Amino acid sequence: MGKTKWTEVRPNEDYFRILNPDGTLNGKLPRVSRKELLRWYQVFVETRTFEDIAVRLQRRGVLSVAAVSRGEEAVGLGAAAAMKAGDWCFPSYRQNSTLLYWNAPIDRAMAGLMGNSPEHIREQLPIDADQLPQVTFMPYAVFLGANIPLAVGSAMADRLAGRDSISVAFIGEGSTSEGDFHDGLSFAGVFDAPVVIIIQNNQWCISMPASKQTAAETFAQKAEAHGIPHQRIDGNDVFAVYQTVKQAADRARKGNGATVIEAVSYRMLDHNTADASEVYRTEDEAEYWKTLDPFERFEKYLLAEKIIDGNTREAMAAEAETWLREAIDRGRAVPPTPATAMFESHLIGEPGWSERHQRAELAAELAGRNPLVDFTGEGL
Amino acid sequence: MSGSEDLNLVTAINQTLRQELTRDPQVRVMGYDIGPIGGVFRATDGLYDDFGDQQVIDTPLTENGLIGAAVGMAMRGERPVVEMQFLGFMYNAWGQFVYHLANLHQKTGGLVKVPVTIRATFGGGIKPLPFHSESTEAYLMHTPGIRVVCPSTPYEAKGLLAASIRCDDPVIFLEHTKLYRAFREPVPDDDYTLPLDKCRLVQSGQELTLITWGNMVHVSQEAVNELGADVEIIDLRSLAPLDVEPLLESVKKTGRCLIVHEARRTAGPGAELSALISEYAMEWLKAPIKRVTAFDVFFPDNQVEDIYLPGTERVKSGIEALLNYQF
Repeated sequence: MGKTKWTEVRPNEDYFRILNPDGTLNGKLPRVSRKELLRWYQVFVETRTFEDIAVRLQRRGVLSVAAVSRGEEAVGLGAAAAMKAGDWCFPSYRQNSTLLYWNAPIDRAMAGLMGNSPEHIREQLPIDADQLPQVTFMPYAVFLGANIPLAVGSAMADRLAGRDSISVAFIGEGSTSEGDFHDGLSFAGVFDAPVVIIIQNNQWCISMPASKQTAAETFAQKAEAHGIPHQRIDGNDVFAVYQTVKQAADRARKGNGATVIEAVSYRMLDHNTADASEVYRTEDEAEYWKTLDPFERFEKYLLAEKIIDGNTREAMAAEAETWLREAIDRGRAVPPTPATAMFESHLIGEPGWSERHQRAELAAELAGRNPLVDFTGEGL
Repeated sequence: MSGSEDLNLVTAINQTLRQELTRDPQVRVMGYDIGPIGGVFRATDGLYDDFGDQQVIDTPLTENGLIGAAVGMAMRGERPVVEMQFLGFMYNAWGQFVYHLANLHQKTGGLVKVPVTIRATFGGGIKPLPFHSESTEAYLMHTPGIRVVCPSTPYEAKGLLAASIRCDDPVIFLEHTKLYRAFREPVPDDDYTLPLDKCRLVQSGQELTLITWGNMVHVSQEAVNELGADVEIIDLRSLAPLDVEPLLESVKKTGRCLIVHEARRTAGPGAELSALISEYAMEWLKAPIKRVTAFDVFFPDNQVEDIYLPGTERVKSGIEALLNYQF
């Protein structure tokens, strides 16, 4: 076993940080309007509200599983604020703040979490094209690390077409152990792909601590061998995330290629609702990380600057609860996906013999008839 | 005097791993989340505490690295038992799976042995996330040089896993997630193995041969019981190599054959079984061979999962269709 170079309990804080955990400034703030700062605050509140509701719904059996991003919201949020309309995003499953910032339709998200098919959701919850998020979100990567080559290819297409849009991908620190991560970085480096790859290092890959994923001092370093600029930042500082991703995005838009950013954060809760983290990590650790909470820190700053007051959180939370509830209820009201939806979107064009035949079998089965009585191939 | 204990399948797996780790210090249980947490299904519960990090090795998150490293260790005398958290995560490892796990023995003219066991959870029915419910046995069966084993009960799991670990060939050992805690049965405390190349007669019958494995053994039994039909059920146990002779003998006796699997139909395991039976038992058939399977689509969203998977009704339809068939 290699010696542990750092620990997940107290990672080296030698990283880029603008906003200190006590809400004071450690450096120069990026230029962000007061209105935008309020929007960030609102998204923080919305993310926590949404995730609380999701966990409650899972406990009541409405959702089979729910993953939340408590304590990591600043990563997805700061990055979202640095994206522009026309960009493409390749999330993992811990970027609810990115989705909320870009007004992703929560009713549709909820219908998806409840196990409806995408075609059925689109049909049941129609949206005008101009109401869709202006950043395009790909389905989140269940298969870890596989989104990286995809994002790089997407970025290569932007470069080939001469567009100034970029691709932004999120990956956990554990997933950087996958070959896919390095496969993607090889391409990103060689082709100067306009992509920003954000390693959301939350210290835990289910039960595996970050120290067991690599013997390198940092995850950002992994980009070094690929010739890609990289930076390690305080992922719980929304200003640091915003500014770093913004600079990387600007570089990418100008044709100067890829950047890898390691945003150091912490998974405050379980991996998902099927996990039990008390089995493998201690309470002390969480206590320490609570002092670095990204939301509390940002709130302290906004209060000190009088951008919000003592009542803002409660008012925004109530507002978020109301509209999120409505959206979630719309998602929950979607009638169950019909079984025939399983055949959708496999091949384009007229179905072949086997698909036609199997569709007929399913129809017979659903109608209570024997689906297996065709012995001639001529149909049921 | 040793007795037996009522165990579910996941506990039988856990006890077998414990037995093999004790028996052979070269056994290395490897994978991610197999250490302190004891695996996401708790199959390796307690092993890290009792055997330490030299024998129970939590690894970085890379399936390709995991299989490649296991083969490298195996060719130098170790006996790795890899946990593949979900079969659907193994696509990342296709390179090492084919190039080394399956091919190294043949490529070295038999000089290098690859005694690796890969325990992979598979199968549907628990409504998890995408790629957590795969039944892609056919991809595995199509690859020469590996054994593919699938237990359907706790007793079978213990005997087959012990045999897989002790076998000098690479073995993919498929554990159905729905069966982990489905039921208990007596499992002897004593060390025992079951043959890796023999199918199992679940129940004998005269009118129809039903060939299946994994969770579908239980679905099929239920269907047969509900119909009260005189059906012979055979649990393949080993998908590669196939134990063909008993299948042919049974079909020659009953004259009818139904293949039941959770995998997709086209080029699925049933296609090979059907081909073998039509090639070698055609003259005894009283009805065409039928396959009861899932549909040729990606494992669908949760709401459709139960209709996608073959259930007792679909199996009953298959049995009835064949029993009522007249040439």
